[in-house]
Amino acid sequence: MTQVQAGQTLLEAKGLSKSFTVKSEGGLFSKRKAVAAVEGVDVSLRAGKILAVVGESGSGKSVLARLLSRIVAPSAGELILNGEVVDLKAHRDLAYAGQVQLVLQDPFAAMNPVRRVGHSLERPLLIHGTPEEQVGPRAHEILESVSLTPPQQYLDRYPHELSGGQLQRINIARALAVDPKVLLADEPISMLDVSVRLGILNLLRSLCDDRNLAIMYITHDIASARYIADEVVVMYAGQIVERSSDTSLIDSPQHPYTQLLIASVPDPSAHGGVAVKAPSGASAAFNIEGCRFSPRCPQALEVCKTNEPPMFEVAPGQTARCWLHATEAQRASVSISDKPIN
Amino acid sequence: MKNFQVPRSPKVIFGLAGLALFILLTIVGPWLAPYDPSFSGFLPNVAPSWKHLLGTTGQGQDVFSQLLVGCRSTMVVGFIAGFVATVISIVIGVASGYLGGKADEGLSVLSNVFLAIPGLPLLIVLNSYLPTGQQTNPLVIGFVIALTGWAWGARVLRAQTLSLRDRDFVEAARIIGEKRGRIMFGEIGPNLLPILTSSLLFTILYSVGVYTTLAFLGLTNVSTWNWGTMLYWAQSSNAGLANEWWWIGPPGIMIALIGTSLALINFGIDEFINPRLRAGGISAKARRKSGAPRRPRLGMTPVLRVTSKAGPTND
Amino acid sequence: MIDRTILEVKNFDVDYGFGEGAVRAVSDVSFSLGASKVLGVAGESGSGKSTLVYGLTRLLRAPGVIVGGEVNFHLSSESAVRTFDILAANEEEIRKIRWSHISIVLQSALSALNPLRRIGREFDEVLRTHDDALSKKQRQERSEELLALVGLRPDRLKRFPHELSGGQRQRIMIAMALALRPELVIMDEPTTALDVVTQREIVSELAELRRQLGFAMIFITHDLSLLVELADDIMVMYAGQIVERAPAQELHDAPRHPYTLGLMNSFPPLHGTRVELQGIPGSPPDLKALPTGCPFSPRCDFAMDKCHQERPPLTLDAGTEHSVACWLHDPSFTGSVPVQLTKRAPQRAGGSR
Repeated sequence: MTQVQAGQTLLEAKGLSKSFTVKSEGGLFSKRKAVAAVEGVDVSLRAGKILAVVGESGSGKSVLARLLSRIVAPSAGELILNGEVVDLKAHRDLAYAGQVQLVLQDPFAAMNPVRRVGHSLERPLLIHGTPEEQVGPRAHEILESVSLTPPQQYLDRYPHELSGGQLQRINIARALAVDPKVLLADEPISMLDVSVRLGILNLLRSLCDDRNLAIMYITHDIASARYIADEVVVMYAGQIVERSSDTSLIDSPQHPYTQLLIASVPDPSAHGGVAVKAPSGASAAFNIEGCRFSPRCPQALEVCKTNEPPMFEVAPGQTARCWLHATEAQRASVSISDKPIN
Repeated sequence: MKNFQVPRSPKVIFGLAGLALFILLTIVGPWLAPYDPSFSGFLPNVAPSWKHLLGTTGQGQDVFSQLLVGCRSTMVVGFIAGFVATVISIVIGVASGYLGGKADEGLSVLSNVFLAIPGLPLLIVLNSYLPTGQQTNPLVIGFVIALTGWAWGARVLRAQTLSLRDRDFVEAARIIGEKRGRIMFGEIGPNLLPILTSSLLFTILYSVGVYTTLAFLGLTNVSTWNWGTMLYWAQSSNAGLANEWWWIGPPGIMIALIGTSLALINFGIDEFINPRLRAGGISAKARRKSGAPRRPRLGMTPVLRVTSKAGPTND
Repeated sequence: MIDRTILEVKNFDVDYGFGEGAVRAVSDVSFSLGASKVLGVAGESGSGKSTLVYGLTRLLRAPGVIVGGEVNFHLSSESAVRTFDILAANEEEIRKIRWSHISIVLQSALSALNPLRRIGREFDEVLRTHDDALSKKQRQERSEELLALVGLRPDRLKRFPHELSGGQRQRIMIAMALALRPELVIMDEPTTALDVVTQREIVSELAELRRQLGFAMIFITHDLSLLVELADDIMVMYAGQIVERAPAQELHDAPRHPYTLGLMNSFPPLHGTRVELQGIPGSPPDLKALPTGCPFSPRCDFAMDKCHQERPPLTLDAGTEHSVACWLHDPSFTGSVPVQLTKRAPQRAGGSR
């Protein structure tokens, strides 16, 4: 196995898209239409770095994780693993599973309830070629690396006998058992008790640093993203709307959606609460032309209604998909006037 | 089930005891029988006495011996048929539920066809095609009965597999790289144990019933002793009309008893298959002792202690 | 806004199960709530916060059993105040006050609303059950009024629950809870399943509704930072016991119980320098096997010998509204309290909230 350099791009996605056909409202004989759960997403996962993907439910972040792990096949786009283009027409093979792993949100649901933990931990070892006599010691080693000691005690238990935090560590251990280069974590802490969340986040951070893993951390909790991420990306309605190569977009958000998100987070130091009134209707976002956030955007311009904005640079290393950050000339070249409409 | 826990529920204990008794009879029945069941030299139509515990038949044969010997044939065929049918239903049901798509469609059509075809007529037809020598071979009869009995179990297992397929732990197994076959039988399979066991017990009961019916109709070799054959002979000698309850009653009662045992086991099966439920529930005895209502109504959480008299008071 | 106590709870105990296998889920809880005030109840798994609140209203499902204590609601009815002992009441009496004086918003609106019924029918049923004097037309008007109250268009009455978003469903639950103008509304994690933007909208609307209608609220959640914004007082629960209670801002600025401190530190901040935080080591308590003494002692950084032997009582700091159940703050403790637990709340302009 070649040594991985810190910062080296391990998994890259270009223009990744996934559409589902759904029935539009209208009963039994309504037309089917395509809903783009993920559209035109570019991400790069680098060794030793944690990329946070922040978004609400419906933003497509979970679908993105499944696309990157190849559990779901994309409708369009490209995946590049270790510099080689992945053949997306072929089935996901064992080699890919050995390189890219995914940890799911609900620690209890992710474990077979009628099997002991030992079984769930041994399977990945066996499938990926660990000789039988080494499976036991390896399982012990992995549990120790996620701070579950003494390991045998955990191996003998059933999932329901353990707490959420312990189970999530075991889920992470299971993903690490195959010795992957890339670890995708889909909301790994949102179903855990508050007091154990930091433990898991700290674990992810130390695993990333110690093993030079590339980690993608998906969450709706922007504060936790700020805590462990090196790079942040914000998703809305299937698209990336803002991106920064550090956490600066949290300190100085430029996209109106990111601003709304950050303003909505409970802030104990602002006693009394700031009422933020924005019309809801995230589901309507899939249908319209132009910027998907425009129906809810307090600063929307005419051009936002009709033309989908590309990403614009708003600060060094930070880009936002918003016409507000385009120059006059760029806006004019696509559309009509500049009068705000909301 | 590495640590087998003794079931606590009285229903299960009775059921298991009953089943154990029948299995015992299957093994030692013919040995215990006082006479050769086919020997017809006794006084016919005698009511039960110490010499003949269940009396004699119209042909002068000992009913008790027939009952004991007949147990083996009935049970063996019933169990073989039950197991074979369950195995078929697992393979078809789980595969069709998990694989989906064309495989599911094809297998579902197969199940539906077998469900729709009336079992007994099909059996009669199949049976008549068997060479006469094979008609008494319990294995062969068992297989033939299994062919009509698997479809219902397959549909049940398919439904259960469909609901399990979307669970996170199945997805997690796929993510690890587990192959489809292993997921179906290694991960989903163990979760199907409760319903599978239930299906197995039911299918065994069904097979016992069907075999007895076939024998009763005289479609199997009437010289092999089983409970159905006893009923055949009893019926054709009008034992019912002659009030010879000792002849026509016992076979039916035996079937009822085996059915009850299997049903009782079914009730308690979940407890010792599912590790979560094993952790212990609240026994009825403890509840009675504490004075709590048997079935607390929703919205009226019981209060277990003496309180002052009720009602709102004006301040 | 009337200034009286609306709920008084004394030594409340709730068990799951009976006899030897019984597990104490709520242990010796005492507190009171003033009319029009917001009490936040914070805690994690096994804290007993939901059990407490469902027990108080006798909505706890089997095998939950109330085994001790007193619960008195002081409810206004025809300009008089009546004391209602809910533990001694019979079904008829409870039904009279339920929904008209005390209502509850459940955690998951999707499972609380009948999926086969249109929203309008649910409202109609609630209104009809509790006030047969209204005609059908009046009920329709009232339903539309209630929807408007939570910012929804009247045409939502014709929809089925699955046709609405999570936020809309939760708003409908709130509207139904307010249908009969109750004095107390209990909310069990109403925004946990919603995204943060929707949560913010709903919380603002609740604040507005409280201004208009003046009801008291018990708000249960694990999100302590939300409670600091929303509640007047916060009660922190651990292993079925109250470990600390204080006015919201004071709890945030000057927590006294080590668990509260640990919980506060479990929320990574959105601003400021990034530092490594620890959360609280260990796992949530196993109610079937609680340690002797203080239930938090196994995970406490400041635990002393006494903490492992004797359970600290909830003591009120005289002259303040701050109570803590911790030996470090007990008058009998003569050592020096760790500095993290002795912060003084900064004086705010205009006094406390």
